[in-house]
Amino acid sequence: MDYRERWELKDYLIGQRLERRVRLLHVLVAVLCSLFLLDFWYLQGVHGDDYAALAEDNRLRRLPLKPTRGVIRDRHGEVIAATRPSLDLRLLRDDRHDKEPQLERLAGILGRPVEELQERLESMRRRPLYEPLVLVEDVDLALVAQIEARREDFPSIDVAEAARRYYPRGDGFSHVVGYVGEVSEKQLADSDGTLHSGDIVGKAGVEKAYDAPVRGDRGWRLVTVNNLGRPIGRAEVAEAPRHGDDVALTIDAALQEELAAAFGEEAGAGVFLDPESGEVLAILSRPGYDPNLFADGISRADWQGIVSDPRRPMHDRAIASFYAPGSIFKVVMAIAALEEGLVDGESENYCPGHASFYGRRRLCWKRGGHGDVAVREAIAKSCNVYFYRLGKELGIETIHDYGERFGLGRTTRIDLPAEEAGILPSHEWKRRQLREIWYPGDTISVAIGQGYLTVTPLQMVRMIAVIANGGSRVTPHVVAGRARPSEPSGFRPEHVEFVRGGLADAVRLGTATRAALDGISVAGKTGTAQVHSRSATEDSDDLPKPLRSHAWFVGFAPVDKPQIAFAVIVEHGGHGGSSAAPIARRVLERFFDQQQPDEPERPPSDARAAVEAPDGDAVAR
Amino acid sequence: MATPSLGKLDRPLLLALLALLAFGVFSIASATMEEGGKPWKTQVLWIAIAGALAVVVYTIDYRVWAGIATLLHGIVIALLGATLFLGTEVGGNRSWLDFGPARLQPSELAKWTTCLVVAVYLARRSRETLGLVQLAVLGLIVGLPVALIAMQPDHGTALIFGPIYLAAVLIGGVRWRWMVGLLLVALALTPVAWQQLKPYQKERILNVLEPGRDPSGTGYQTRQSKIAIGSGGIVGKGPFRGTQSQLNFLPAQHTDFILAVVAEELGFVGTGALIVAFWMLLYRGIKIAGDAQDRLGTYLCLLVVAWLVGQMTINIGMVLGRLPTIGVPLPFVSYGGSALVASLCGVALLLNVRAHRLVN
Repeated sequence: MDYRERWELKDYLIGQRLERRVRLLHVLVAVLCSLFLLDFWYLQGVHGDDYAALAEDNRLRRLPLKPTRGVIRDRHGEVIAATRPSLDLRLLRDDRHDKEPQLERLAGILGRPVEELQERLESMRRRPLYEPLVLVEDVDLALVAQIEARREDFPSIDVAEAARRYYPRGDGFSHVVGYVGEVSEKQLADSDGTLHSGDIVGKAGVEKAYDAPVRGDRGWRLVTVNNLGRPIGRAEVAEAPRHGDDVALTIDAALQEELAAAFGEEAGAGVFLDPESGEVLAILSRPGYDPNLFADGISRADWQGIVSDPRRPMHDRAIASFYAPGSIFKVVMAIAALEEGLVDGESENYCPGHASFYGRRRLCWKRGGHGDVAVREAIAKSCNVYFYRLGKELGIETIHDYGERFGLGRTTRIDLPAEEAGILPSHEWKRRQLREIWYPGDTISVAIGQGYLTVTPLQMVRMIAVIANGGSRVTPHVVAGRARPSEPSGFRPEHVEFVRGGLADAVRLGTATRAALDGISVAGKTGTAQVHSRSATEDSDDLPKPLRSHAWFVGFAPVDKPQIAFAVIVEHGGHGGSSAAPIARRVLERFFDQQQPDEPERPPSDARAAVEAPDGDAVAR
Repeated sequence: MATPSLGKLDRPLLLALLALLAFGVFSIASATMEEGGKPWKTQVLWIAIAGALAVVVYTIDYRVWAGIATLLHGIVIALLGATLFLGTEVGGNRSWLDFGPARLQPSELAKWTTCLVVAVYLARRSRETLGLVQLAVLGLIVGLPVALIAMQPDHGTALIFGPIYLAAVLIGGVRWRWMVGLLLVALALTPVAWQQLKPYQKERILNVLEPGRDPSGTGYQTRQSKIAIGSGGIVGKGPFRGTQSQLNFLPAQHTDFILAVVAEELGFVGTGALIVAFWMLLYRGIKIAGDAQDRLGTYLCLLVVAWLVGQMTINIGMVLGRLPTIGVPLPFVSYGGSALVASLCGVALLLNVRAHRLVN
C-alpha cells in the first residue's frame, strides 16, 4: 500500500466513524429529550396537584385576627378590667434597611440603653420573619410624634395599634381579677392548639379561671405573601374572630376598695360574702400588686421586685394561705358538742382558769377563770377550758367529722384558680402525712383551733356562713350566675341558734366589741393564729411584729337575718379584736350604708371601743 | 465559493430557534415584572445584536472562519486573561469586561472559538485516531480557557467545556485503551476532586442523591424550582400569573432557572413545546453535520451540537433537580447578552455549513 492508498483507507475509516458518531448523537439527543419530557410529565402531569398545593402553601399565609378580651365588671357594672387601644412601636424585618443605627436612634429618644432593645429582639428571634417585632409597648403620642417627625431615620420602625388590658382600679382587685400575660410554652403545649404563640391569656384570678370565654377565639385572614413573607395585595378575612364575653362579678367594687383601704399597709386577707347565695362581695389578699404591670409585658426589674418581695404579694392569701383558725374553731366545737348531745344550752361547766389534760397543764386566757359557763357564754367569752373538755370528750374523729360538715379540709370550689384545702387532721391524716400516731394531747390543741389544724380565710367565711344561714354550706363564687346549690349540713336549727347567740354576745359584750355597729346587730368571733410558741404569760401584742400572732375576726350581720358574712385575718395583728375587727366593721358600715343610702352617716361612737377583751387564744398552747 | 442565501436556510432549525428565543423573552418579562420589566427589552436588544453578528458569521464561509480560528481563540484567551485583572465582579464571579454601555462575558465567546479551533485541529490532523499528543493538544486548546474561567471562578461555564472536549475525543477517534485509560484517570481523580469541592458544592451534589434532605437550606432552590414546575400542571397558571415566580420564591428566575418560569406559567404544554423545539434544533444540527461537504463542516457542527446538548442537559437537569445546582444558563432562553451572541453565532455556523453542503 502506498501512501495515497493508506490515506484513503484512513479517510474511509474516519468517514465511517463520523457516520456512527452522527447516529450516536441523534440517539443521545432523542434519549435526553425523551427523558426530559417524561420528567416534566412526571412533575406536571402526574404530581401537578401535589405541587400546586405546595405552591399555595408558599403563597398563602394565615394571619391571625386577634379577638378582643371581654370586659370584667363588678356587680353594679363598674369596669374592673377592660381593653383599651394603645400604640406599639414595631420593627419590620423584611426590608433591606440597616437596623442597628435605627435601634440606637430609638434608644436615644427613649432614653434607654440600646442593649435593652437588642435583648428584647434576641428573645423574639424565632418569630417568623414576616411578623413585625414589638419593640416598645404602649408608647405615648408625644413619642410617636417624635418618631414620625424623623420618619426617614426610622424606615424599619412602624407604629401599630394594639389592644392592651388595663385595670383602672389598681391593686385592690389584683388577686381576684388576676392579670394577663403572654402565653407560656407549657400553656401552649397543654392547650391542644387553641392557643397560639404570642396570645395573651389570663395568668391568675378570674382572668385565668374564665380565660377561655373572656379571651374569645382567634379568627384568621388569608394573605398572599412573597418569598420574604411580605404581604402582597389585599387580605381576605377567612374567619372573623369571636370576641371575648364580658363577665359580671359578684364583687362590689366599692366594698372591695373599702376593704383594701381598711387594711392599709397590713398583710392578710378578707372575704365578705352573701351567706345565702355564696356570692362573694369582696375578697382581698394583702399585699397586692398592680396588675397593669403585667399587661405591657412586665419588665425584669418589676418582676424581680414582686417575686423576691418577702411579703409575697403574688400569693393569694384569701384562698391559698394556711392559718391556724384559733378560737374561731370553737364554732365547730360548739356545734359538735350540741349535736352529739354532750351539752345542751343549759349545761354549765366550771372554768377555774386552768385544767390538766394527759399530764399537761393548760391555761385559760383569763387568769382567774370564767367560773360557771354554758355554751353560749363560752363562745362569747371564748373560754378555753370549756372547749378543752369538749375536745377531750368528743375525740379527734368526731371533731374531724364536724369539721368536714363545715367544709374544712377541702377546697370550697370557688371559681378561682389555685385554691388550697388546708388541713383537717385525723388519725388517718397524721399516720399518712407524718407517719406518727395521734396523741390525745393533739386533740386538746385542735379543740381551740391550734395544733395541726389549718384553714384558709375563704373556708372560714364559709364556716361562719353555715351559722349565718341556718345550716347550709354555700359554694362561694365571684362570677355572677355561677351559684351552685347549697349543701345542707344537717345541724339542728336550735343548735345553730345557740352558737349564733354566742357570736352575737361576743360582739355585744365579749371579745369582739370593736366590730359593733350602731343600729345593726353583728355576730362574730375573734381568733388568734399563733406563729410563735411562747410562754403563757406573754401577751402577743407586746412582741415584735414578726413574732406576733395573726388576728382573725369572722362573723356576719345582721344577727337575725344575715346579709353578709365575713372572715378577716391580719397577719401579725395580735388580738383579733384589736386589729381584725375594726377592718370588718369599716366594711360592714360601708355595706349597710349602701343598703340604706338615704340614711345620714352615723358618727363613730367612742363608747364601743372602750370594752376590750382578749380573744381567748393568748395562752392556747 | 457559493454565496449563502436565505433560500438555503434550514427552516425547521430557524423556526425552533425563534420559538426558543420567544420563550426566553416572554419568561424574562414575566420573571422580572415586579422590578419594572426592563430586562426583556434588553434581551430583545441583545437578540438583535447577536442576530446581526450571526448574519456575519453565516455570510462568511466557515472555511474562512476556520482560517482565522486560532487568531480568534487567541484573542478570546487574551480577553479571558484581561478579565481576571480588569473584569467586573457580579455575584462573586469576575466574569465580565465592561465596554461602556455593554458588558461582555468572554467565557461565553470562548465556547464558540473553542469549537472552531478544535474542529480545525481535528480536520487537519493526519492520523486516523488520536494519540497521546493529540489528546494533549486538544486538552491545551480546551484547557486554557477552562483554567482561566475556573479562576474567575465561574465553575458552571467552565464545566460546559467538558462536553466539547468529550465530543472532540469521541468524534476524533481514540483507541480503546486510551479511552479506558482516560476513564480510569477520571475515576481515580474523583475523590481528589471531591476534596477540592467547596462545602456548598458537596451539599448540592448530595441534594441530588437524596432529594428533600435540606429543603429550606441548600436544597431550597431546587425545591422551589420543582414546586414551580409541578404546580404549573398541564396548561400552566397563565402568562404572568405564576405565584412561584411572581412572588419571588424562585431564585435566579430570569437567568438559570428560567425554565421553571416557563413550566409554571405555561405548564406541560409549554415545557413540552420547549423540549421539542430544542430537539428539533439539535436534530437539524446533527443532520447538517452528516450532510456537510467536508470533514471540517461535520466536526464543526458536531462540536456545536455537543456544546448545546451539554449546556441544555446541565441546565434542565438542574431545574428538574436531577443534577446539582450549577450556574449554567439555558441556551437561547436565559437572560444574558454574551451567551446569546455565542449561541446564535454557534447556530450560524450550523447554517453556514448547511448552506455550503453538497447538493444533489
